[in-house]
Amino acid sequence: MMNKKQVTLLIVVVSVLLIGGVKFFIGLRAPAIDPQEARCKGNPQGRVKIVEFIDFQCPACAEGVKILNHYLRQHPHDMYIQMRYFPLANIHRHAVISALYSECAARQGKFWALNDLMMSQQKQWAQLISAEPAFQLMALQAGINMAGLNACLALDDVREALYKEKSLGQSLGLTSTPTYFINNKMIVGTKSLQEALKADFPLAAQEQKGLK
Amino acid sequence: MWVFLRLLIGSIFLVSALSKLFSPYQNFLYAIQAYQLLPSHLEVYVAQIFPWIELLVGFFMLLGLWTTWALKGTCLLFGLFVVVVGQALIRNLPLEQCGCFGEALHVPADVMLLVDSAGILITLLLLRHLDKTGRFSLDSYFDKRQAV
Repeated sequence: MMNKKQVTLLIVVVSVLLIGGVKFFIGLRAPAIDPQEARCKGNPQGRVKIVEFIDFQCPACAEGVKILNHYLRQHPHDMYIQMRYFPLANIHRHAVISALYSECAARQGKFWALNDLMMSQQKQWAQLISAEPAFQLMALQAGINMAGLNACLALDDVREALYKEKSLGQSLGLTSTPTYFINNKMIVGTKSLQEALKADFPLAAQEQKGLK
Repeated sequence: MWVFLRLLIGSIFLVSALSKLFSPYQNFLYAIQAYQLLPSHLEVYVAQIFPWIELLVGFFMLLGLWTTWALKGTCLLFGLFVVVVGQALIRNLPLEQCGCFGEALHVPADVMLLVDSAGILITLLLLRHLDKTGRFSLDSYFDKRQAV
């Protein structure tokens, strides 16, 4: 018969093994992220490859975009950025529609043009009850073909593409935005992003500090 | 009732721990960063170690093993949560939710402050009525065996 200390040890060891095993199994089943050419920028051969999962209405995501743009400007040959959708419709009312506009812009090769506008004007459109007029205006400014855009927005497969990316994110363990994979290492939030980039590009980090 | 309360608090800690442990630790790290309380390197350690502490405390409470120590630990953890969430509310930090249960449950920080305060009271009561709290527990089983 086991005594109290032995039972305690058994519980601790079984818990660690069981949870460690499940986590290992989940890690093995995590899908790979395929490159999406329409939503990539930088050098595909760059040493720092970043996949970002964002919700266009999330304020931290807009901050993350600014940080990444700063580093990309400093190191255009070293970085490769790919953007993925992770709309959080439960907390952001324009999360899905903004992602739909982005996907339709991507299908016309204008993803980054629209993205830059959306992110820089996020504070304004995020407050609106309906943000569609603002998105239409931004799409015009980004040089998107409006007839093509409006036809695209009605397509079922655009929405499907969005949800497919969201489930990809969920299967990778994402729960919030912005989440980044820097050379396959998961990073959540802009504080961790800055720390990771600072380690990769110490000089650009100093310049960014100087700009503040 | 005392046993039920012990099981309830144990279950809360267990759910909280499992929801964090089955998710990448970076998600909990993000929640910790929102409280702006610790230096970066400590935040990473806390994000990786803290869910295991919650798990063990939850298990011991549920099984009634080392109940007195588990109750003291639980009380200490609730006290810690009150301090952490309270300072965030006082500093008016932009917390959308407390981050206490990973993705399993979204609880606003002010509601969690009340829950944590109630938790302290309940654990103190459980400690006061330890003889009743310890019924249907492994502790009582081992005590009986030792007596025989």
